[in-house]
Amino acid sequence: MVGVTEVYNTLWIGLIFMVLGLPLTLSYRTTGIINFVHINFITIGAYVGVLLSLLGVKNIFVIALVAFIVGAAIAVFDNIAVFKPLSERGANVVILMVASLGLWIFYKYFLYAIVDLIGKAVKENLVSVILELDILPSINLGGIVVDGKFLTTLTLAVIVVLFYYLVLTKTSIGKAIRAVSDNPQLAEISGIPRDHVVNFMWAMTGGAAAIGGLLWGIFAIVTPEVGDWLILEIFAVAVIGGLSSLLNTAIGAFIIAGAENIVMAALHEAFGLPLSFRPFITFLVLVIVILVKPPLGAGGGLPYRFFKPRKRW
Amino acid sequence: MEACPIGSLNPGRGGEDMVEFNVLGFLIDWSTFFAIYAILAISLNLEIGYTGMANFGKVAFYAIGAYLSAVLTIVAFLTIFGVSAPLYSVDTVIALGEHGAELPWLNIGLFILSIVLSAIVAGVVGYLVTYPTLRVGPAFLGITILSFGEMLRFFLRNYEPLGSTYGLFGVPHPFQWIPNPTVRTGIYALIVLGIMFGIYIYAERLVNSPFGRVLRAIKDDEVAALCLGKHVPRIKATVLFIGSAMAGVAGALYLFYLGSVNPDMFIPRVTFDIWAMVILGGMGNNKGAIVGAAIITFVDRALTFITPSLGLTAYITPDYIRWMTVGLLIVLVLLFKPGGLIPEKPIKTPALEIADKIEEG
Repeated sequence: MVGVTEVYNTLWIGLIFMVLGLPLTLSYRTTGIINFVHINFITIGAYVGVLLSLLGVKNIFVIALVAFIVGAAIAVFDNIAVFKPLSERGANVVILMVASLGLWIFYKYFLYAIVDLIGKAVKENLVSVILELDILPSINLGGIVVDGKFLTTLTLAVIVVLFYYLVLTKTSIGKAIRAVSDNPQLAEISGIPRDHVVNFMWAMTGGAAAIGGLLWGIFAIVTPEVGDWLILEIFAVAVIGGLSSLLNTAIGAFIIAGAENIVMAALHEAFGLPLSFRPFITFLVLVIVILVKPPLGAGGGLPYRFFKPRKRW
Repeated sequence: MEACPIGSLNPGRGGEDMVEFNVLGFLIDWSTFFAIYAILAISLNLEIGYTGMANFGKVAFYAIGAYLSAVLTIVAFLTIFGVSAPLYSVDTVIALGEHGAELPWLNIGLFILSIVLSAIVAGVVGYLVTYPTLRVGPAFLGITILSFGEMLRFFLRNYEPLGSTYGLFGVPHPFQWIPNPTVRTGIYALIVLGIMFGIYIYAERLVNSPFGRVLRAIKDDEVAALCLGKHVPRIKATVLFIGSAMAGVAGALYLFYLGSVNPDMFIPRVTFDIWAMVILGGMGNNKGAIVGAAIITFVDRALTFITPSLGLTAYITPDYIRWMTVGLLIVLVLLFKPGGLIPEKPIKTPALEIADKIEEG
C-alpha cells in the first residue's frame, strides 16, 4: 500500500531535487552550457559538511554558508578559467559540455584523492560517511512528529528558493541576469556588464547546488559518488521544466520525486517490480517528456522566458 | 556509477597485472587494447568529429556487443556439448573449460558470427535510439544516450539470467586450441589490429565520399543542410547505426580477449576515455583518433604495469591520478590546442585534386 512514508519521502526528496534543479536550469538558461560540474557541486557540498564536522563545526547553518561559498568559488573559477575563454573563441555547446565533462572527471577524482588522504590521516573511513550535524529539533504537531532532518531541509530549501526569487525578480542584478539569458548581445549593448553578471550567476548556481548536496548528505549516506547518483534525476527535473522556467523546474522536482517514490511503491505493490528498478522510471519520464514536449531551448527553438512562458505558435 | 578502485581501462578486471614486467606480454596486451579502443575512437570520431553528434553513451553499444557475443558463444557451446545448465553457473564454467579447445572451427566460427551479429544488433539499437533523441539539440542527445547506457547497465546488473552483477565467465578464446598462451594472444592481437585497420580504411573512404561531405555540412550548419534538401534526421540515424555497429564489433573483440564480461565494465567513464582520445588526437580526423587511442591506452597500460613497483600506492591510488590526468587533459587540450594533435584537414575529392594540379601549373 502506498502509505504516509512515500508521501513524506516525496516531499523531502522533492525539496532536495528542487534545490538542485533550479541552479542547473538557471545556468543552462543563461549560458547554454549543460554543466557536468553540477555533479561536483553536489558532492563537494556534502563533503564540506563531512570535513567541517571533523573539525568540530556542527551547526548546519554555518556549514550551509561555507558550502555555498565553496560551491560558488568553484563555479566562478570554472567560468573564468575555462568556459569564458572557450566561448570567446566561439566554441559551440558540445565543446563547452565536453570541457565541463573534463572538469567533472578532474574534480571527482581530486576529491577522491583528498578524502582518501584525509581519511588515512585521521584513520576514519571518509569514503562513505553518515553525517551527524546539529540540526533543528523534531517538533510535535498535534500527534504527528515532524523529523528534525526534514525541518532542516525544508528551512534551507525555502531559504534558497526565496533567495533565488528575490534576487531574480527584485534586484537589478537579477534583472540583468534575465536580460543576459534572454539576449546576450542586446544586454551587452544596453550597457549591462555581461561578465560580472555571468560570474554572479555562476556563484548563485554553484552555491545553491552545494547546499543541495549538503541537504542530500543529511538525508542519506555521503560518498564521492552522490552527485553521480543524483545527476540523472536532476537532468530529468530540468528537462521537465523545459530547461527555461524556474517554476516548471520546481514542479518537475516534485513530479520526479513522486514518480520515484509513490509510483514506484505502487508498481512494487501491484506487479512486484523490484525497487532497484527505480532509475528506470526516471528514464521513462525523461524519454516521454522529450517525445511529447521537447524542451525548446534544447531543441534549437526559441527559449521560454523565466517566469511567464511565451506561447508558441 | 560506482567506485571501482582497480583496473582502469578495464574496470572489471582484478589485480592480475601485478606480475613482473614482461615486455612481449606488455606489447601484446597494449596492442590489443589499442586496437579495440582505436575502433571505438574512430566510431566516436565519425559521430562527433564529422557529424557533430555528441554521443555520451558509446559504452552502451560496446556493452551490447560484448554481452551478445558472450551469450551466443556460451549458448552454442552448451547446446553442442549437450550440457543443460543456466548461463551463469559453476557447471557452465566447468563445461566450457572442458570443451573449449575441442573443436577449433567451432571457436573460430562463433568468433566470426559474434562479430557480425554484434555489429548488426548494436547498429539497429543505435538506429532506434535516435528516434526520441533527434528531437532535442546536440547537447541533449548526449544526455539521453548517456542515460540510455546507464539504464542498460542497471538492467544487466539486475537481470538474473545474465549473471546480474557477476556477469558471465569462461567464454572460450577463439584460439583456445593453441596451447601456448603467448602465441594465442599474439595471433589474437594481430587479428584485432587487422580488423581495426579495415575499419579505419572504411571510415576514411566513407568520410571522403559524397556522404562524408553531407556529414560535414550537417556538422557545420544543420539548418543549411536541411534547406539544401538533405534528410538530416535519417542521415544522423545512419551515422549512429554505423558508429554503434563499430562499437558492437569492439565489444565482441573485448569479450573474446578477456573471456568474461560483467556490467561494471561498462560504466560511463569508459565513454569519457574514448572522448579524451578523440579530443587529444583531433576531432574530424581518423588518424587523430588512432593516435589519441595509442597515447591514452599506452599511458594507461604502462601505469597499470609500472605503478605497483613505485610504492606510491600507500598514499594515493594510481587510479585517481590517472583519471585526474584524463580530465585535465580534456580541458587543457580544448583550451590550448583545440584542433588536437592532428587537426581536421580539407576534404579530398578527385575534382579538387585535379583543380589543385591545374592551379599548380
